[in-house]
Amino acid sequence: MRIERDIIYIILAFIVLMVVVPWTAGQLSDQIFFNWPFFFEVAIGGLLSGVMYSLVALGFVLIFKASGVFNFSQGAIVLFSALTLVGLHELGLPMWLAMIATMGVMYLVAVAIEKFVLGKLVNQEHIILFMATIGIAYFLDGFGQILWGSDVKLLDLGISQAPGFYFDGLILINDFDLFAAVVAGVMVLSLAIFFQYTRIGRALRAVADDHQAALSVGIPLNHIWIIVWTVAGLVGLVAGIMWGSKMGVQFSLALIALKALPVLILGGFTSVPGAIIGGLIIGAGEKLAEVFLAPMIGGGIEEWFAYMLALAFLVFRPQGLFGEKIIERV
Amino acid sequence: MDMNERKIGDVILALDNISLSFGSMKVLNNISFDVKQGEIRSIIGPNGAGKSSMLNVINGFYHPQEGSITFRGEKRKEMDVHKAAASGIARTFQNIALFKGMSTLDNIMTGRNLKIKSNLFQQAIYWGKAQKEEIEHRYKVEEIIDFLEIQDIRKTPVGRLPYGFQKRVELGRALAAEPDILLLDEPMAGMNVEEKEDMSRFILDINDEFGTTIILIEHDMGVVMDLSDRVVVLDYGLQLADGPPDEVRSNQKVIDAYLGVSH
Repeated sequence: MRIERDIIYIILAFIVLMVVVPWTAGQLSDQIFFNWPFFFEVAIGGLLSGVMYSLVALGFVLIFKASGVFNFSQGAIVLFSALTLVGLHELGLPMWLAMIATMGVMYLVAVAIEKFVLGKLVNQEHIILFMATIGIAYFLDGFGQILWGSDVKLLDLGISQAPGFYFDGLILINDFDLFAAVVAGVMVLSLAIFFQYTRIGRALRAVADDHQAALSVGIPLNHIWIIVWTVAGLVGLVAGIMWGSKMGVQFSLALIALKALPVLILGGFTSVPGAIIGGLIIGAGEKLAEVFLAPMIGGGIEEWFAYMLALAFLVFRPQGLFGEKIIERV
Repeated sequence: MDMNERKIGDVILALDNISLSFGSMKVLNNISFDVKQGEIRSIIGPNGAGKSSMLNVINGFYHPQEGSITFRGEKRKEMDVHKAAASGIARTFQNIALFKGMSTLDNIMTGRNLKIKSNLFQQAIYWGKAQKEEIEHRYKVEEIIDFLEIQDIRKTPVGRLPYGFQKRVELGRALAAEPDILLLDEPMAGMNVEEKEDMSRFILDINDEFGTTIILIEHDMGVVMDLSDRVVVLDYGLQLADGPPDEVRSNQKVIDAYLGVSH
């Protein structure tokens, strides 16, 4: 991947802003406590929660890359996979076995989606496929809850949620967040390799551009779709596990998809690294703003920060950081 | 070109009594013709005659309700897109269907898709067979790029290319599959005289050098009559004539269909 100079400037500008603004705020206002260990604690906490956003955003990016379709059902996939995992675990399967079984279920879901929905919609407009994913979302939401019930379920991986002390006790970091970051890192690396270096990667991009042409060169559309939806299911499962351990497995898991939207706009809908960097910027940005600006301009910044940032991007750089700039010859 | 030097072989593809309809609209009505190994076979006719539908039947996009298709001696009711591609039928489209976000090189590489044999795991770690294969395919693709004289636009995303070049890249992608039969749907539509001459030269060279059988749809009658060995004429889904260019040109039904006739 070639990185434009613009992108580096934008990212550097963000980093500088994220350091300079809290520091300045600390100097200007008595109400704001600022010292460097505390700053890093907030920043690292923010980056780690950004990783959690990235996990969800990744699922969107995968399907968008492979079908040019915004997959409305990614949130539902997260919920469904987490419900299935916990449900199977409650039935008595050990956690590792339940995970493998859930992966199998996500594969079956992908096959079913291809067979009953997308397979019938070859060569249709993207908007029609998008509508279909809305249908899939509602179906999975309901189906998961019919199967496994709609109570809040506990998901315990046995990893401490308590904060640990690092750097001689100067900085507090949640161990679970660190764990999530490592998992996300490994996943991103494998996905990047998968998409960059395999024939499948090229076939995926081809399918996203033109179904008919892809078919004519012998790319098996149905296989590609099954692969992509399975991978999106697996990424959804990982996101579901991480978020589910934090806030319990329940319907609101499906809504974290909303948090992924600004990440996508920031990073670009077609870029795996974009989803990561977008998540990191938003995660760190909103936490820093909440802690260091709220006493001056009022709280609740965390609620709107991501969306405002996304809005700014839509105005000034609609393709996002790493997205493909669409140039249409007229 | 001396016709006697070219080797035209046996029938490779035969279409018998093909009928295709969408609902009550009959698009193809009892069409029968055959294509011989190594020939340039043209399908002509006014707009809406069913020419593109015919190509879609041949590569399996459309499944005719009646009739049969005999390809390499194997008779079947309909073609399957994937099987058609795998057994050596490649095509271009009337409205260019390229992968717009991808470079010229990547577009043509997709044409090699069916020839890549290494497995997913080998590809993922880009090791051993996968690496060797990628280099081999890349070599072949470079040959095609040289052949079509598009070296300069190798890395350009095809969405940015002018129309004439997009047509060439699409031809390149079809060639990358090293097809036995190449279906060309109006390869010269919208081109100026010079571009048409280039494209005609490519078509003749492909046929001559690689021995590729070509089925061509084209509106420019000068081009069709110059290039083709045999021409089949369709009008409103009906077959009007079939034969060598000279014979077709003097056929009264064909003249009527093209010039219009008062009834």
